[in-house]
Amino acid sequence: MADSDNDSGGAHNAGKGSEMSPREQDRFLPIANVSRIMKKALPANAKISKDAKETVQECVSEFISFITGEASDKCQREKRKTINGDDLLWAMTTLGFEDYVEPLKGYLQRFREMEGEKTVAARDKDAPPPTNATNSAYESPSYAAAPGGIMMHQGHVYGSAGFHQVAGGAIKGGPVYPGPGSNAGRPR
Amino acid sequence: MDQNQHDRLAQEAQYQSNPMMAPTILPTQTYGHSLSSSYPRLHPYDPQAMYQLRQEPLQQQLTNFWAKKRQEIEETTSFKTHSLPLARIKKIMKGEEGVRMVSAEASVVFAKACEMFMMELTIRASGSAEENQRKIIKKCDVASAISRTDVFDFLVDIVSGHNKIMEQQGFVGIPRIGTALTPTENVPYYQMPPHQSLVPGPPYGSSGMVVGMPVHYQNHPGLQTPTMGPTPNPQNSSRDSDS
Repeated sequence: MADSDNDSGGAHNAGKGSEMSPREQDRFLPIANVSRIMKKALPANAKISKDAKETVQECVSEFISFITGEASDKCQREKRKTINGDDLLWAMTTLGFEDYVEPLKGYLQRFREMEGEKTVAARDKDAPPPTNATNSAYESPSYAAAPGGIMMHQGHVYGSAGFHQVAGGAIKGGPVYPGPGSNAGRPR
Repeated sequence: MDQNQHDRLAQEAQYQSNPMMAPTILPTQTYGHSLSSSYPRLHPYDPQAMYQLRQEPLQQQLTNFWAKKRQEIEETTSFKTHSLPLARIKKIMKGEEGVRMVSAEASVVFAKACEMFMMELTIRASGSAEENQRKIIKKCDVASAISRTDVFDFLVDIVSGHNKIMEQQGFVGIPRIGTALTPTENVPYYQMPPHQSLVPGPPYGSSGMVVGMPVHYQNHPGLQTPTMGPTPNPQNSSRDSDS
């Protein structure tokens, strides 16, 4: 399970265990997860060699570093310390992955809605109420460093996204931001 | 916003290609959104024509992939479980120089983005395997998919290392020797089609890197049966594109 991988922090399924040091293993995503995702993209009878999985494993880490580097440069220019979801979407657009951005916008929007009242950390929870979250995704202490910048940025995105209805839900805690609020409205 | 001007960006050719489009080494595939069933030129080598024909199923696969991905995201009801461990993603992000703090939402966005990235790369690699009539996707198929897709250029160093290993093991005809596309290095690519069809029309690999790709594409209908000289053609094509 992804959650157990998250908790243990170990590399249970490092296919290159014999070739990499323990620290190097942490630089890649678990090859079992990589393999499962690759198979989702193919018909059931397709087969993938181990070296192809390992190559994609390395490629996806490079993808993360590539996008992160661009997003980090942007944050530094804007004197912000925390990379957030919108920085990544901007970086993907800049680096040619525009087709990823539209689905991810909706995904990020839904994440903020559903995690509104809880800490932003995607921890394991028992039966989270699907329609009860208010949008206060900025409770995370990592946002406290530059609330003004984040608020302005978020407001802009909300104004242009227009994904969901404004229901005037109560926002508990966290900074008030100029963009329209929402309480668990479904996109579209 | 740029994100809302996707089509205009494609028309302005600010990016050589985007993931939804076929590799720019095949100009006829550059406009994947309006895939044409006719090919503007006849190839002197049969393997290239066969390769082009196989591009249509690949385009359909990618289109289906994106539609499915959008639907999947809309149906997401829980963010408790992710297909990838968030802590590991965060660790990889922090490995980048200058990165100080990473919000939890950034890790969540990456979990989905990486899934999309890996699935797209896998679909393109499967196209390469099919082209060689194999049912098992191998490392060289991933390398081929990367070399054919401009947006994956940042992965060339990873794959070129693998190419060296595979060459030692007798894999011949792996695309992209070195990272710079120069007329000199196009010559080996041009010699590949007679042996393998991994890289059809190497000269266009060079023109694919030139700004003004749409103009280049428009020039093609006028060229009924161009002679594929290894050196002068990419230069001529580049000049036509620039004008």
